[in-house]
Amino acid sequence: MDFLLEINTEEMPSSHVKMALDDLQEKFRKALAAAKLAVAEFSLYSTSRRLIVVGDIAERQEDREEIVTGPPKAVAFAADGTPTQAAQGFAKSKGIAVGDLQVIKTAKGEYLGFNRVEPGKLASEILSKFIPQVLASMSFPKMMKWGTGSLRFSRPVRNLFCLFGGQPLSFQLEGLASTDFVYGHKLHAPQKLQVKSFAEYRAALRENLVIIDQEERKTIILNQIEARLAPLKAQLYPDPELLDKLSNDVEYPFVFMGSFPEEYLNLPLEILSTAMREGQKLFSVVKEKKQLPFFLGVADAPGDSKGFIQKGNERVLKARLEDAKFFWEQDRKISLKKRAPGLKHVLFQEKLGSYDDKAQRLKKIVAYLCEKAEAKKVEKDAVGAAELCKVDLVTDMVREFPSLQGKVGGLYARAEGLPDAVAQAIYEHYQPQSLDDESPSSLPGALLSLADKLDSIVGVMGVGIQTTGSSDPFGLRRNAHGVCKIILDLPLNISFTRLLDKVFSTYGDKLKRQKKEIVASGRDFFINRLRYIFEKKGFRYDLVNAALNAGIDNIYYSGLRLKALDALVSSPQFEPLILMAKRVNNIITGQPAFAVNAGLFVEKDERELYSIFSIIKQNITPMIGKGDFAQAQKIIFRIQPGLNSFFDHVLVMAEDNKLRRNRLALLQAISKVLLQMADYSQVVVEGEKPTPRKSVPAAS
Amino acid sequence: MSLQNLIMNLQKFWAAQGCYLAPSYDLEVGAGTMTPDTFFRVLDKRPWRVGYVQPSRRPTDGRYGENPHRVQKHHQFQVIIKPSPDDIQKIYIDGLVSLGINLEDHDLRFDEDDWESPTIGAWGVGWQVMLDGLEITQFTYFQQAGGVEVFPIPVEITYGLERLEMFLEEKDNIYDLKWSEDVSYRDLRFEEEKQFSEYNFSQATVRSLRENFRLSEKEAAKLIEKGLLLPAYDMCLKCSHVFNLLDARGAISVTERVKMIAQIRAQVNQIALKYTSGEGSA
Repeated sequence: MDFLLEINTEEMPSSHVKMALDDLQEKFRKALAAAKLAVAEFSLYSTSRRLIVVGDIAERQEDREEIVTGPPKAVAFAADGTPTQAAQGFAKSKGIAVGDLQVIKTAKGEYLGFNRVEPGKLASEILSKFIPQVLASMSFPKMMKWGTGSLRFSRPVRNLFCLFGGQPLSFQLEGLASTDFVYGHKLHAPQKLQVKSFAEYRAALRENLVIIDQEERKTIILNQIEARLAPLKAQLYPDPELLDKLSNDVEYPFVFMGSFPEEYLNLPLEILSTAMREGQKLFSVVKEKKQLPFFLGVADAPGDSKGFIQKGNERVLKARLEDAKFFWEQDRKISLKKRAPGLKHVLFQEKLGSYDDKAQRLKKIVAYLCEKAEAKKVEKDAVGAAELCKVDLVTDMVREFPSLQGKVGGLYARAEGLPDAVAQAIYEHYQPQSLDDESPSSLPGALLSLADKLDSIVGVMGVGIQTTGSSDPFGLRRNAHGVCKIILDLPLNISFTRLLDKVFSTYGDKLKRQKKEIVASGRDFFINRLRYIFEKKGFRYDLVNAALNAGIDNIYYSGLRLKALDALVSSPQFEPLILMAKRVNNIITGQPAFAVNAGLFVEKDERELYSIFSIIKQNITPMIGKGDFAQAQKIIFRIQPGLNSFFDHVLVMAEDNKLRRNRLALLQAISKVLLQMADYSQVVVEGEKPTPRKSVPAAS
Repeated sequence: MSLQNLIMNLQKFWAAQGCYLAPSYDLEVGAGTMTPDTFFRVLDKRPWRVGYVQPSRRPTDGRYGENPHRVQKHHQFQVIIKPSPDDIQKIYIDGLVSLGINLEDHDLRFDEDDWESPTIGAWGVGWQVMLDGLEITQFTYFQQAGGVEVFPIPVEITYGLERLEMFLEEKDNIYDLKWSEDVSYRDLRFEEEKQFSEYNFSQATVRSLRENFRLSEKEAAKLIEKGLLLPAYDMCLKCSHVFNLLDARGAISVTERVKMIAQIRAQVNQIALKYTSGEGSA
């Protein structure tokens, strides 16, 4: 039978609506399954004011048959075949006549009993019971209460409407009783509507200015935008997030277009589009990547016949652009360089000093990076950018639009004629903001971004601020993701430990924790971050562990190790090698370190293993040095026959101390070389239980 | 049409909703939310309905009278109703209609905007109400104040009076608004904006402000101890305003900001706790 539920609320944020639909879907399916109610169709719709569940649910549960047994046959009947007290008592307790009882054969013997048919309950009864439970158990990123109620929800629930088989289904949710009507558009068609089916519901709402399908609203918006832009041969400045938000926020979209005075076109596109998006939620209009003096907005209204909506928005936008223009002009009266001392008054962190201190550190770190990355050519620009990259924090523009930090500095740098590379580096030094964001496009930008993020990580760790799963006030995880991404993207082939060391030393005596301690916890922190990043990229967790256990001193190499492992997983030589490596590991575990003495080998197989190993080692050392792990891996496979014969014919744990130690020393040497590739003992092969993870899975 | 007309209409409308019309509070505050008529009254369990005009000072918003819509002092019409009525959105919309706004011709939106005041340890869930792209009201269901969960839940409706009047008069410049038929906003406020901008940004003496902050905080601590929660809260308001002035003077670093806000919040929390546990009175 047709089922329809509308939960009418005050305006919910679009992120909440999305989660609520998933939540409802799951909880309804579970509840229906638990109640043994068959459901044929199931779909969900939403607006910012409605969550809508539509389905085809069975009218009642299927009848349930069960066998109820009582006393054993032997006890139930007297010798003459008449029912005993036990039989009569059982019949009475079950409300059934003794005559209706039968003898039932079970595995344990014969018992007196009967077949009971439990008629399936009506779905309407079950639904009116579990719907309130489902709604009360929904969770949102931020929950609220209202009035005197105890229900917690995204926003106040104001009307509940449920139809089942054409009839209103009544239930109560924390004192709110379901009704037999829904409302039209809150402002433009607020009347109560009575409907008997989903088709009627959908049509009545459409007539009363509510389109219940988010995708349809999005299409309407896009079509109307297209119609507005076509005559101008212009395009929308793409903003999928804003489009999603607006498709949720309006029940009946109407796209209006407005203009602003051309004098504001002197403002950079980034600033114009931010001024439009933040606050009024307007789209920018561009033609050949140039801003046009127009904007598009989406109203929750059937139209704008008097033009009030357009005019109102134009007036508000003009005021905002006037502000932005004022900032753009005022800010640039003072050059970034002259403004820089202002950073002394902006604290980066209480114990870590001001942003001016940070800028001074960044200059040193960037210079070091340029040297290590063999990028001396860009050092002047990169260091120049480091000096000025934070200066936009003391501009009015960034105070007004904090999301534009960095970009504003870059725009100002370009406008005042600083070298392009400097401006570009400043512009992009906050990138990447997430793992999905792009790394900076220029080398100075990438190095500066890297320096900035590492400086924050080391500093914050250095004063003992803990980052935990739930608390990361300085965004260290995001910063660390940025660091890894930049190193892997560039790529940057340098020692990470030494880099951390360098960053530590630029802090002078400001950090209260010891260098060793910080470098160690920084290392652990980054191992977890890298693990998270690699696993998110889809690599097997055991391969990730194998690659990371080989050391993260060179993050770029960690990535290469992982790729090499991943590429060889399906090779037939891979699994035997893993097993062999594990065997080597098992034997040498717990043994003190010994040195190989080639003169002490007595067996042919150990001599041969030593000789093939020496050749392999010689071959792969330069490959590993260059990071050519794929090639090195292939060569390492060649050790396998030698190792095989060795294990087959040589007793490692020989009674003779010298022989035993020498054999162990050989295996240790082999293991050491293997470990330069990967920690093969971490790799899980078929038929083997997965090795427990050495560390907890990284949280995002 | 004038600001005072708007105020009178709002007063009339909300008085009809059972609100007591409070006088404006006589200390500098950043928002109507901060006055005792809101702060203390949302904390206890008793029903409460109030509406009042509150001059609100935001020193950093000063523009020397040169910006057509930004001022270091603006006026809010603050409404608190506890518990929040089920049809409060409709009441609010009726209120707009009573001001003569024909909503059929406009786009009215409740746009997600959860409100938070770290200084008084308060937060709520709600929206900025946008009328044709202009933010005219902050609409909030309080959830916490002074670090304490509130119950029953109050709804707070805060109109930005100048904004709303600019919409009604279709003016682009705040100073062109009429306060009354004969007195313009410029007559009343322009000189004040100029002088206070100069004071806020350049003349306020940082050292004495810091000293004021310290003294008010000390006084608050003493008064909290004595259970004199109303004057103690006044001291916190003074700290808050002094903090805003220091901020306008560019004298506060990022961490210092966090620390000073935390100091004020800690005292406000103590006041809220004492008030709700009946240890002091207000």
